[in-house]
Amino acid sequence: MLNIHNLQTSVEGKEILKGINLQVNAGEIHAIMGPNGSGKSTLASVLAGKESYEVTGGEVLFDGKDLLDMAPEDRAREGLFLAFQYPVEIPGVSNINFLKTAIGEIRAYKGLDPLSSKDFLKLLKDKQELVELKASLVNRSLNEGFSGGEKKRNEILQLAMLEPKLAILDETDSGLDIDALRIVANGVNKLRSENNAFVVITHYQRLLDYIVPDFVHILYDGRIIKSGTKELAFELEEKGYDWVKDELSAQASPSL
Amino acid sequence: MEKGIFNNFYTYLTGAFAGRQQAARLTEPGWLTEKREAAFALFAEKGIPSRKSEEWRFTNLEKFLSHEFKFQQEVIPERSGLALEELEASRIVIVNGRFAADLSDPIPDGMTFLDTKAALADARFAEKLGTVADFPDNPMLALNTAFFSEFSVLHIEAKAVVEKPLHIEHIYTSHASAAFIAYRTLVVAEKLSEATLIETFHSEGGAPVFVDFVSEQQVDEGAVFHSHMINNVGENVCFVQHREVCQFRNSVLNNSNISLGDAGMIRNDLNFRLKESGTETNLLGAYLVTGEQHVDNHTLVDHQMPHCNSSELYKGILHDKSRAVFNGKVFVRQDAQKTNAFQQNNNLLLSNQATVNSKPQLEIFADDVKCSHGSTVGQMNKDALFYLKARGIGEETAGRLLMQAFVFDILSRIEIPELRDFTEELLHKKLHTENLVIA
Repeated sequence: MLNIHNLQTSVEGKEILKGINLQVNAGEIHAIMGPNGSGKSTLASVLAGKESYEVTGGEVLFDGKDLLDMAPEDRAREGLFLAFQYPVEIPGVSNINFLKTAIGEIRAYKGLDPLSSKDFLKLLKDKQELVELKASLVNRSLNEGFSGGEKKRNEILQLAMLEPKLAILDETDSGLDIDALRIVANGVNKLRSENNAFVVITHYQRLLDYIVPDFVHILYDGRIIKSGTKELAFELEEKGYDWVKDELSAQASPSL
Repeated sequence: MEKGIFNNFYTYLTGAFAGRQQAARLTEPGWLTEKREAAFALFAEKGIPSRKSEEWRFTNLEKFLSHEFKFQQEVIPERSGLALEELEASRIVIVNGRFAADLSDPIPDGMTFLDTKAALADARFAEKLGTVADFPDNPMLALNTAFFSEFSVLHIEAKAVVEKPLHIEHIYTSHASAAFIAYRTLVVAEKLSEATLIETFHSEGGAPVFVDFVSEQQVDEGAVFHSHMINNVGENVCFVQHREVCQFRNSVLNNSNISLGDAGMIRNDLNFRLKESGTETNLLGAYLVTGEQHVDNHTLVDHQMPHCNSSELYKGILHDKSRAVFNGKVFVRQDAQKTNAFQQNNNLLLSNQATVNSKPQLEIFADDVKCSHGSTVGQMNKDALFYLKARGIGEETAGRLLMQAFVFDILSRIEIPELRDFTEELLHKKLHTENLVIA
């Protein structure tokens, strides 16, 4: 589904991603872990199409199409979804009409008829229950005045409504208490299927107790330096990121 | 000679004055003739204010007043009922400044509306003319006083609570030739009254129009007066309004000033004099300009006595080669302790060729007050735009959503649902976003 080959990016001349290789297939959940500043969020933003990142090399194929060549809205319409680490507050744009507009545009792109108001509201009600988000929040301005946990649950609500093929969760667990974390994880688990895939970016192993990944990758200094199964996350949690750094420097200077 | 504009229109006016006075002497009271003389002397000396005058630095009237304007003779519009038909209201139609009784509804109980003849004959109101807005060195006011053709009065009786809004539809016609329309109104809201006045401004015909409108308003002790202005005139219209509002003890004044239409040029001078303590003044403004439109809002909130609250929020969006001016003065005089004054002007500047001049101006002479003001000029929020696009919403739709939301912040504060809907429709029309609904 997603093929990242030797992806390199920089921001304002500073190299952030130094050659990422990653393959994600339908039905899989991949976790990407790494210390602060390793490039995790950059990877998420580049895949979603944020302008401030310059791609300096490599390619990304999404269902065989050149992802980096697409506008952000077309990536979303093709089925890519980014749950933002910091969801943006947009006063004056209501949550409900934002969702309606987004679904309308995605359906139009796919050549589908618009959803009737009745079907839309029914869908919304179902998905709302999934993330246990109060109806009052759905009618409010997008993310405005939402707590941290409400914002993250709202991201998952959008995920549920838009039904993407590939969802990237960018530190969706950060700032969540355990109840909110369970709700978010539960939402994701109910949404996972053979046809979709998730890339879960996180700093902490904790989330992976609830969303069990098929693969775990460790991102450090702009590269994936280690990949494994979920056990890798436990090892990382136990030994800390210094362990990875030490191992890396040992590899870099094998003669010592 | 002063630093004014002395163009062909000035020459036309100064040439016409003596003849008009002669005719007026037959119909108008002597005091008015005298007032006109004095005003004319000032106008003749100072001319039409030019950009050399501080108050007109960013608005060049010379550009808009280059046509051969003549005093408007037409009186009959093709149609009235141009706005807000859904609203349950009493309608007054004013055509080219003149009250059109046959197009208007009966006035609700507790209110009186007087046309020029009745107003000038009633000493209670006639003597107030030119005393609320009494600035002997203001050439634009002098222009109006010297040349206004119509004067109408809205009187709200003491203790009257009029629930049904009064909707005044101002219609300007210019089918034949460039028209000059100068007129004025007086509103007296007496003690403990409460009323709502909605004014919508429209035009028909394509010839240039110069509207010079003065409104004097007196809001007496304990009165609550809601006033809304929706300016919907055409691109052929140059609209200049001076509104002088005096508020007395514990009175409340709410004003919204909405320009989402096609007006070529709008200049509003809105002055609020808080003459006694305990008053409240809430001002809202929204403008959306495209093409070569020009909207200039000058507001003044003059805190003269203690314990008065004022709040002002104006927001605008500029496209293409349009211009907007916001000049918001807040005076807090020495006696005005415990003043609360808030002012904010936010602009979205969406074109390299558009210009906005935003100038908040606080002058505080008291030492125990709470005042804040802010002014922003910015572009579309990139993070918000990306967030919307990342959900599959195209660039253009995302931009419109954000523009709507920006202006909607003002419109959503209008408490009359039908009026709010009407302003939203104007916004949709301007943004070509009929099918997008927002919060």
